[in-house]
Amino acid sequence: MTTAVQPYRVTPARVLRSEWHKLWTLRSTWINLIATGLLTLGMGVGISAAYDGTGEGGLDTVVFVLLGTQFATINLAVLGILATAGEYSTGQIRATMTAVPRRLPVLWSKAAVLTAVAFALCLCTNLLTFPLAQAFLSDTDQSAALGDPGVLRGLAGNAAALTLLAVMALGLGAVARSVPIATGVYIGLVMILPEVLRMLPYAVVDDAIQYFPAQALQSATAAQSDSGAASPAAALLALALWATASLTAAAATLRHRDV
Amino acid sequence: MITAQELTKRYGDRTVVTDLSFTVRPGTVTGFLGPNGAGKSTTMRMILGLDAPTRGHATVGGRSYAAHPAPLTEVGALLEARSVHPGRTAYHHLRALAHTHGIPRTRVDHVLGVTGLTEVAHRRVKGFSLGMGQRLGIAAALLGDPATVILDEPVNGLDPEGVLWIRTLLKSLAAEGRTVLVSSHLMSEMALTADHLVIIGRGRLLADTTVTDFVRHCGAGTVKVVTPDAADLVRHLSAPGVTVTTDAPGSLTVRGTDAEHIGRTAAAHGIPLFELTPNTASLEEAFMDLTHDAVEYTATLEGAAA
Repeated sequence: MTTAVQPYRVTPARVLRSEWHKLWTLRSTWINLIATGLLTLGMGVGISAAYDGTGEGGLDTVVFVLLGTQFATINLAVLGILATAGEYSTGQIRATMTAVPRRLPVLWSKAAVLTAVAFALCLCTNLLTFPLAQAFLSDTDQSAALGDPGVLRGLAGNAAALTLLAVMALGLGAVARSVPIATGVYIGLVMILPEVLRMLPYAVVDDAIQYFPAQALQSATAAQSDSGAASPAAALLALALWATASLTAAAATLRHRDV
Repeated sequence: MITAQELTKRYGDRTVVTDLSFTVRPGTVTGFLGPNGAGKSTTMRMILGLDAPTRGHATVGGRSYAAHPAPLTEVGALLEARSVHPGRTAYHHLRALAHTHGIPRTRVDHVLGVTGLTEVAHRRVKGFSLGMGQRLGIAAALLGDPATVILDEPVNGLDPEGVLWIRTLLKSLAAEGRTVLVSSHLMSEMALTADHLVIIGRGRLLADTTVTDFVRHCGAGTVKVVTPDAADLVRHLSAPGVTVTTDAPGSLTVRGTDAEHIGRTAAAHGIPLFELTPNTASLEEAFMDLTHDAVEYTATLEGAAA
């Protein structure tokens, strides 16, 4: 070894390393990720095995096979919320912010670690789930191959969309500083608000709802775009904006509020 | 070196700390004293940049805490509230903190050893006793080998052995030339460990003095002496600054000198002593007198009766 010993100092790479270490040294992380993967895989294979070839004709094949990722929208969001709000409920945040008093590198590192882990997990799970599920679907209207138009894009788009949703939840956690409140806001935004807004008799609202998190996730997942829905690219862009807005609010909160 | 200048913290219309200025110097243990709710923890949080002062500022080693490139090497802090995720092991908690500064694993093992946590290092923190939790907090504070150590109520919840360990640790840290600021609401504890005192009440500075001066000034440091030859002893003790009062026949309260001097004087003149007791309770009383008006919640008889 010829490299000199670096003096102790905080660098972005080191904060990233610290957050990576923190994520993997909690049992809840392992349970969460394993459950997320197994639920997607199990649901996909289970639904496909039980599918009798009729009745679901309207559903896009990638959306159908990845129905189990409904759990991932909650699980990975909780993982993101625990990474930020969880530190406030345990008091860990005081140790974290004493080590990195500039604060923002912690937020970026948490978001980066979550992005890497969530995307890798979702992409691998999706790539595994699709062929396994298809083994049961060969003679049905849901039959498709990985090479068919839009399939790979849908599987990857779903992974990217789920990751962006988790990052959005991480930002909500940093703003709310409470796991139950952040989880409630997330579920309200993703699952309840669009259904309520849909009741309004304005066409412009219906258009806007296509860019809400859950609807954008659906559009990013589908191999074939619905006529009324957003294009996959537009859906992912919308999700990226949701995540950015959430992280921006988180950064402002972190900078200006007392720990 | 810690410098606080006109630190003020307001939460809504409640002012917790008001125009607080003091300096904590290296090489000594400075006791930060005040009744519960005096603003000690808030002040410490402002020094560490966790809370932003409403007015004024605090610096450590000449800069604000957040401006240091390696804050953990500048200040090591144990806060009163627990600052650990209970699901992580002690070892991994320290490793995660160490990673932010590039502090090697050997240093983590070292502070675990210093605080006596090596055996429980791989247990999750949720199973820790209050004392073990305090030790982990101190291990985290020492991680960066810091020039300044800030400990908020470190003896809280510790058994006598732990209390003694903290006292010895604080003194050795100061002897190594570090700045040591330690808060407490117990004057008696500070009299044993601190050299210097910063006393606050209701967020205001009440005294900034040495322990010796405080003891002398407050008339604590009296010694109770019981002897059959009281008149004889009084004659031999008489010196400028020494006052002796007689409480009862054969029972004296001596002010202005210490037990050692009285004992030696008595021995030199063959005067038997039945009792020779330095009065430390009066130190606590002096502190209570000083902070009496500044106690946030005063228990009253009427309140207790209601």
